[in-house]
Amino acid sequence: MDTSVLNWLDRTAEQYSEKTVFNDCSRSVSFAEFNRITKSVGTYLASFVTPNSPVVVMSGRHIMTPACFLGIVRAGCFYAPMDATMPKARLNQIIGVIKADYMIVDKEHLEIAKGLDFDGKIIIFEDIVDTPIDEKLLDKAVSGLNELSPLYVIFTSGSTGVPKGVITSHHSLMCYIEAVGSVLKIDSSDVFGNQSPLDYIAAVRDIYLPIKTGASTVIIPKNEFAMPTQLFDTLNKYKVTTLCWSVAGVELPAKLGAFDELKPEYLKKLCFSGSVMPCKYLKIWQQHLPGVMYVNQYGPTEATASCTYYVVDKTVDDDTVLPIGVPYNNYTITLLNEDNTPTEYGKTGEICVSGPILALGYYGNPEKTEESFVQNPLNKNYRELIYKTGDLGSYNSDGLLEFHGRKDRQIKHMGHRIELSEIESTAKQIDGVTDCCSLYNKAKEHLYLFYTGTATSKDITIYFRSVLPGFMVPRKLVQLDALPTLPNGKIDMQTLKSYFK
Amino acid sequence: MDELMEILNELRPDVDFENETALITDGILDSFDIVALVGELNDAFDIEIKPNNLVPDNFNSAKAMMALIEKLQDE
Repeated sequence: MDTSVLNWLDRTAEQYSEKTVFNDCSRSVSFAEFNRITKSVGTYLASFVTPNSPVVVMSGRHIMTPACFLGIVRAGCFYAPMDATMPKARLNQIIGVIKADYMIVDKEHLEIAKGLDFDGKIIIFEDIVDTPIDEKLLDKAVSGLNELSPLYVIFTSGSTGVPKGVITSHHSLMCYIEAVGSVLKIDSSDVFGNQSPLDYIAAVRDIYLPIKTGASTVIIPKNEFAMPTQLFDTLNKYKVTTLCWSVAGVELPAKLGAFDELKPEYLKKLCFSGSVMPCKYLKIWQQHLPGVMYVNQYGPTEATASCTYYVVDKTVDDDTVLPIGVPYNNYTITLLNEDNTPTEYGKTGEICVSGPILALGYYGNPEKTEESFVQNPLNKNYRELIYKTGDLGSYNSDGLLEFHGRKDRQIKHMGHRIELSEIESTAKQIDGVTDCCSLYNKAKEHLYLFYTGTATSKDITIYFRSVLPGFMVPRKLVQLDALPTLPNGKIDMQTLKSYFK
Repeated sequence: MDELMEILNELRPDVDFENETALITDGILDSFDIVALVGELNDAFDIEIKPNNLVPDNFNSAKAMMALIEKLQDE
């Protein structure tokens, strides 16, 4: 039985040694060389790190970033990746939560790293990549590793204004990768086209499916997503067979008319997740690529990437609403009512997940962990944790799960999960913003901030851009004399929604 | 040009559109900015930006965008 992703890498490195594992359109790396680099990085770190501790990584969209992740794992540690394009204030928040002793950066991001509030030691990746390998030291480093050891900590929006670090174990990740790999029938002939930032949960498929199966991943340069014909050219140049993209990423080429020029000739599988797929865009993909297998996925980071899937078995219309389908192997779904009773079949309840795929919790935050991962109220006999997703769902007459939105004010925008209250607490930090309310116009995909005070929309946007990731910055700012209120004094969101243009 | 600058400044008030010349190449504008921008330019200038117009050279600077708009208006 495999206890860690290192077992996978050891096998594929031997079996597919000369085959390419990652390619970033300017460089590529074979399985053997990739494995060698992870061992060099691991040897370097293992001589001084405390096993089972976090190491922060800030590295670009290139082939060495996954090698850095796995190098940290070889040293018996787990990685906490950060996206260097995020504002400094956001990166400092993550550093404040993870409190790591070491950070690995590539040369390109060294200056950014030096400018952060990081007290630990900064290690430059390029300086350690040729460390002579010490197999004995590496064996010792992982001697305390078990399948429930953390593999990574990935950060997501938190309603209090501080990002939450979701900790995932080797076992959870391996369960998910096994499950999604078998649904998509991934083998060594597949080539993935990576869209997700490498520090984001959605990238785990592009990183670990090759390490598991001997497939390859092309890390597509970010600016190609703004230029869709160039993007399709790249997919064809590298004969990409499989895309696991955010819904927002799948929409882009369809929105910008890329199929009028060319199409991805080698594509066989397209799997999407992150938000509800508007079928008018999926229809365009289906019209041009009818032979492709389309898979809708659903799930929160807390349950390791995706819980359920639905293989689209018919041609969709503009108004088709895709089910989120059935649970992946090793995922159990329970629907619960507000009073913790089981939801009657066909009725809507909160989607709750259990199984070996549950995250280990939020890093350094036991209170929030206990609040979110709770004993299954239906099980009085033994310990069984569930994660209450906050998402609503019901079963349809075919026994497939359907998604009905959120219980709270969390939204999905451009494939990212956002707590609207986090935007509000950020806006309130600005002098000249007295009160505010953030709302989402789902139909037009516009993020709004209604506010009172003297700040101009330019002041607010510039401040937001300095502290929040771009996808969290409201594009529509509306200054009001007063926010409308309900008789109980709460903000009247329905009236505000009528101001959507 | 004023109308274009107004659209750009409203889209991304944090970017110096007067002087930037590598908006796409340096990743200053991302794919979501481009989707929003293409829609606005099509409406404001009564043009139709085609996928093969979406190359970095046409969007790297405000000047380049203006040249593309003028070219499409002439067609």
